[in-house]
Amino acid sequence: MDPKQPVTLTLWHNYGGQMKDTMDQMIDEFNETLGAETGITINVTSISSSSTLHEKITLAVNQDPGAPALPDITTAYPKTAIKLKEKDLLVDLTQYFSDQELSDYILNFIEEGKLDDNGLYVFPTAKSTEVLFVNTTIFDRFAKDTGARLKDLETFEGIMKTAELYYEWSGGKMFYMPDSLFNVAQIGYKQLGSEFFSEGRLNLSSPLFQRIWNNFYKPAVLGHMAVFDGYASDLAKTGDIVCSTGSTAGVVFFPPKVTYPDNTTEAANYAILPYPTFEDGKKIAIQRGGGMCVIKSHKQKEYGASVFLKWFTAPENNLRFVSSTGYMPVTKEAFGEIMTVRIQNLEDESLKKLLQVVRTMQDEYEFYIPPLYDNLDDLEREYVTSFKKIASKSRDLYFELLEEMDSEQAYKTVSDGVMQQFINGFK
Amino acid sequence: MWIRLFLFLLVLVVTMLVGVVAILMVSGTFTMGLAQSEELVMNDLTYLSTGISDHLGLLSQHAVGFSESLSASIENRLKNQGKSPSHIKYYPELLEDILSEEFERTLSWLLRSNSSGVFVILDATVNPALSYAETSKAGLYIKNMEPNIVNSSTPNIHILRGHPNIARKNMLPLHAQWEMEFDVTDASYFTLPLQASSSTKNLSLSRLYFWTTPVILPGTSEQVMLCSVPLIDSEGNPFGVCGLEISAMLFKLSYAPQNNIYSRAFSVLFCPDDNIIDLSHSLIAGGYSMRNRARNNSHLKIVKGKSSFYSYISDYEDSFLGIHTPVKLYPKDSFFSDQQWMIAIMIPRDDIVNSISRLNIMLFSLLILLLVIGIMISLYLSQRFIKPISQGIDIIKSTGFDDNTSTNIPEIDDLIEFLASQDKKLSQKAVKEPAAPSLLNEFIKNVKTLSPAEKAVFDLYVKGHTAKEIAQILSLSINTIKTHNKRIYMKLNVGSREELLLYINMIKDIGGEFK
Repeated sequence: MDPKQPVTLTLWHNYGGQMKDTMDQMIDEFNETLGAETGITINVTSISSSSTLHEKITLAVNQDPGAPALPDITTAYPKTAIKLKEKDLLVDLTQYFSDQELSDYILNFIEEGKLDDNGLYVFPTAKSTEVLFVNTTIFDRFAKDTGARLKDLETFEGIMKTAELYYEWSGGKMFYMPDSLFNVAQIGYKQLGSEFFSEGRLNLSSPLFQRIWNNFYKPAVLGHMAVFDGYASDLAKTGDIVCSTGSTAGVVFFPPKVTYPDNTTEAANYAILPYPTFEDGKKIAIQRGGGMCVIKSHKQKEYGASVFLKWFTAPENNLRFVSSTGYMPVTKEAFGEIMTVRIQNLEDESLKKLLQVVRTMQDEYEFYIPPLYDNLDDLEREYVTSFKKIASKSRDLYFELLEEMDSEQAYKTVSDGVMQQFINGFK
Repeated sequence: MWIRLFLFLLVLVVTMLVGVVAILMVSGTFTMGLAQSEELVMNDLTYLSTGISDHLGLLSQHAVGFSESLSASIENRLKNQGKSPSHIKYYPELLEDILSEEFERTLSWLLRSNSSGVFVILDATVNPALSYAETSKAGLYIKNMEPNIVNSSTPNIHILRGHPNIARKNMLPLHAQWEMEFDVTDASYFTLPLQASSSTKNLSLSRLYFWTTPVILPGTSEQVMLCSVPLIDSEGNPFGVCGLEISAMLFKLSYAPQNNIYSRAFSVLFCPDDNIIDLSHSLIAGGYSMRNRARNNSHLKIVKGKSSFYSYISDYEDSFLGIHTPVKLYPKDSFFSDQQWMIAIMIPRDDIVNSISRLNIMLFSLLILLLVIGIMISLYLSQRFIKPISQGIDIIKSTGFDDNTSTNIPEIDDLIEFLASQDKKLSQKAVKEPAAPSLLNEFIKNVKTLSPAEKAVFDLYVKGHTAKEIAQILSLSINTIKTHNKRIYMKLNVGSREELLLYINMIKDIGGEFK
């Protein structure tokens, strides 16, 4: 690279909101240091949610009318990267990273980026898993009166029992919401020693499904758990729930205050706990987060992109990024002593707690990478939509029936045959 | 002789090259890079400024249209309840319903405009009892997170400000930086249009809209530029503002310079203040990272250069070259017509200098290459031209003027033929007019002055050998023989080998001997 003949690389990423600031600062720093020395400028030309990014890339890959030109680098999940690779648009990054360099990264993260051959197409830049967020400002008030404990939230069964208690204590408010009902189910199967997928279909005939269904359907109908088209952090902003399971990267979306309908606000503290397990289940959590793909162009640009990726994932830089966004670092070194120092120096309490939990999970949990089925998105959409539709309908009916019968009887009436109806929808 | 010819040709080559350089200088080729850059930037700027004027002009129109329809709708709604918009601050319990019912209208103005956000701020708050109620205003702020995306069937809409029930009712997510109400502390987009409408009741809305310089709203992280229009009831009383937004990202995606030569060119939309550009209140698009400078409240000083390029000198002790032009955002009689806007295209000075240097280095390299080629051709031609002449002379020297002598060069063969005929005439003349005995005696006497080596050569001439044969017999080079010949001719007072042989033959004819 010749600084006198600089190249500008366009970048699309999905680090929006508060993460955008961190990403902006990282990119500015690169542009003004190593970028300036080597003649590489990174220019962000799109910040979208991962789903919008997927949509944009799909448009570009299919060369649909009016589709945007692909950038030089893009963040992408494997499902998006596969579409790019099928069209031979991705650079195999093993050309630019030696085996020695790659051995510094967490093996699982590299493996996930290999897609279907031995090349490396999705370079791990920041990974995430799921954790439990608890608004302790509300929980502590509730615990003081009821004796509820954070320890009870270690299992999904414990969460639902606590949710029932909270419902009664709060006069009918919801307690919990999983950001992804689909992830709860697939991880639940793994924790309990089974597989959620069977030959590209959902394994709903397993007896395990009854247990998972009961654990979420009943609290949803009874109003203990939120069934909501959006992220749990939205409900957390207004104090409508107390805890939720979701991506570590969601930490920045939990505001430091809760705003109530009369525009009064209350400072909110959060506890961040490892991902719950089902009782007697193994400690398994999902591995989430994509990576960055380099789009084929010319050697100078491809090499420039690899220089940026090396800089971005160097332990010190990578930790700086993840410690303000809630992601997990991607190198072995970054999980070591350097992380301890970083955690000690962090001012943001939530991020400090998050990194501590992530480190614990890295030691104690097994991370599960979902399979790469073509129809995985459709299966997820159908599962979640169908569950929410059935649960909402049951809930409305349940509250109607409460006027003429007791709770147990009303629930029995609305839940009769509903699970089978749900399963039948997938046949 | 070839050296003279070579030098002659070389002078010719150098003269031509100097001529070429002179022509290049006169025609401005060495500064053409700068001129081309200026033209390129000017074209880009014309295109951008037209696009921005059109875009912002249309947004201004839409914001005015939005204000008119929204004002009328809110007024009608309140009138039906026997209330007036100018007293809206006294109906906090109605605010959620008013905004909820105006949601569709607000969203539709966002979707029909090429903007990244739409907002409504009412001069009221849901909770007047709060300590910060004075600066907290109820409203609605809807953001299109992907205003540039092609597929608009599923716009990525978030609620940045507004009651959460409005978002949930419309199944829209709250923005990561959501808050229920607007904090209008130091909010020029709220206070200035309201002040303008209060102070000049006869101006229409199209003269009252106001474009903020790019700002980061409280509690958010992205720079935005807002077109804000007062909400005015039918009696001319303002009760809030509404408008449209251009985010830094929308500007960046829409107005980056498109030239392929300077990848780090960037555009800046700014309000100049005494030839100073405040980067923290400017929108920037392009392939150069200025964000840190904007974040650090850095400035650029505009300095007119010798060419049409301006210099933009930064606080960071580096500079940019470029051109700027006004962007007209207001009609002449607008309340805010004093606010001047400019769009500039800038390129890091180093990039232009490097580009022009590269061009000139390439030109000089070509000229030097031409010079080297000229020298080589001169060398080759001079040697090639001289070679047959040298060969001809050698042939004449070694074989004499033989009728059969041929060099394959007609001119030299003609010369040999001419010399042969002259030689023949000379011999015939010698036969007819024998030389005087005194001349022959003189010749014989001079033979005695020859050195032994010269005598050896002379004797072999007497025996009838050619110069070549003599060189072989005496094991000497032909050049040595030539040297001896010169001395022999000088000492015996003859002009050529032919004359020497003539004397030898004449002396032999009269029975003379050489001792």
